[in-house]
Amino acid sequence: MSARGLRRAAVVIGACLVVACVAVGGETPVPPATASSATDARPPGQLLYGKHCLSCHQADGRGVRNMQPAIAGGTWVQGDARALALFVMSGGFDSASRKDSAEGNVMPAFRQLSDADLADLLTYVRQKFGNGASAVSAAEVAEARTSLGPAPIS
Amino acid sequence: MRISFIARVVSAAVVAAAGAAAAAADADGLTLPAGFSVVVVEEGQGPARHLDVAANGDIYLGGGNGLSVLRDTNGDGKADVVKSFGNVKGTEVRIFKDWLYVSDDVGVYRYALKKGELVPTGARETVVSEFPKERQHADKTFALDDKGTLYVNVGAPSNSCQERDRQEGSLGRNPCPILEKYGGVWVFDGTKLNQTPANGRRFATGMRNAVAIEWNPAQKALYAVIHGRDSIDTLFPALYNAEDNATRQGEEFHQIVDGGNYGWPYTFFDTKLGHRVIAPEYGGDAKKEPEAGKYANPLVAFPAHWAPNDLLFYSGKSFPAKYQNGAFIAFHGSWNRAPEPQAGYKVVFQPMKEGKPSGAYEVFADGFAGDMKDNSPDNARYRPVGLAVGPDGSLYVADSQKGRIWRIAYAKK
Repeated sequence: MSARGLRRAAVVIGACLVVACVAVGGETPVPPATASSATDARPPGQLLYGKHCLSCHQADGRGVRNMQPAIAGGTWVQGDARALALFVMSGGFDSASRKDSAEGNVMPAFRQLSDADLADLLTYVRQKFGNGASAVSAAEVAEARTSLGPAPIS
Repeated sequence: MRISFIARVVSAAVVAAAGAAAAAADADGLTLPAGFSVVVVEEGQGPARHLDVAANGDIYLGGGNGLSVLRDTNGDGKADVVKSFGNVKGTEVRIFKDWLYVSDDVGVYRYALKKGELVPTGARETVVSEFPKERQHADKTFALDDKGTLYVNVGAPSNSCQERDRQEGSLGRNPCPILEKYGGVWVFDGTKLNQTPANGRRFATGMRNAVAIEWNPAQKALYAVIHGRDSIDTLFPALYNAEDNATRQGEEFHQIVDGGNYGWPYTFFDTKLGHRVIAPEYGGDAKKEPEAGKYANPLVAFPAHWAPNDLLFYSGKSFPAKYQNGAFIAFHGSWNRAPEPQAGYKVVFQPMKEGKPSGAYEVFADGFAGDMKDNSPDNARYRPVGLAVGPDGSLYVADSQKGRIWRIAYAKK
């Protein structure tokens, strides 16, 4: 076992101690992105999720009631890829799934991510957590990006 | 780094478990200090929020499904009669003299409590209405002093007053215009009806969201435990990492004084450094301190993201002497600590003497969250959200996951 493998095993054991090792069956929770993530063998979508999405939408994609909506089972997330890409790049409250939602916190914009990263990330959330929608290509993200307005004040 | 952090958490958990009494077989899965016992009063009114107990023992409960009242008719602690009433879906519930004061996101209301009535039959009266409707930090929790002065928590509809809320790298608005109408405590005459926010006065500012707000009758002073800010790591990744975000922004416990400023959004109390720092949105570099004396330091800075949702000064007669006039705090539990292990989900006791902390806080009731699969808050078994004291001195705790209500009593030995 490599040094990193040993380290990862130690992290898993540590996490099991903390959460009483209950993550059996169902979806495997997303491990946190670590400093070594750039050289990690895990799929890039998972790493990007850990870095940009997990702290709000949580390791199981279920979100937090009254705070952030679920990705798991989300009809919007699994719907039209172009509309999803546009929403993730622009953020806000105005996605189709949120019109009547009670969740309070705004979705940030992720237009700073590259077309390739967004494609990996969107593909990941459309196919993880029990979701089963089509992959998204970098070309599709690039095409959606042409509809974005100028960057708002940040 | 990461392993040592986990090791620290584990060892802290072991110490906490060793320090607490073992869970009694009948404690409903909760751990409590020796000598305390638990009765499950009720579960079934949906997500509960705050509660209060009348002199006759009737329990008035607020929550997402509306108001309800619970009565134990045979003295076993369990509710035998449960009635829903009114049309207020919100958080705060406070009995003041012969009135039941309640609130939702946009107003404070009251019902007359007439002798012999379980459900109030009188019309709902509006004390203050027309707070702006907001999606975030909208609960208008409040406290009433002994004269009926009403102190309303008007939470800020923002994380840190960025130009774009919760956007990576977005800077803070300076001065923060949100503070004109939010992010503090507004004071009203709670005995007058049909007021609007314009009838109130800003009593204190710089408070992101003080859900846990309470009048301390022994000290004749207002106190609050404030929800600290989220996401220093994802908003400013060059300054903070995930472990920083999970551990550094204290949940600040303050005495709230007229004209006080508690530092949001310009600063937060960094529990690692042990002092207040300038927020990254306002030019902070993870170390820089604000001008000395500009913002109050907390009486206690509780761990980041624990989510203090109710505060109670114990004045009952049945708990041991050390609890007298001390503070119980219900911590709803974190979500923004992810990917680090979530924390909070407990009731803490802060010993107090003459209105000041007189020792380290103690975990009073724990075990609410259960195993919490996948480190996900929605998988918590229970989340403590409301506290009240009954006429016999028992402590009542309400849960927001299922609406479970516990009565915690002390048996003299």
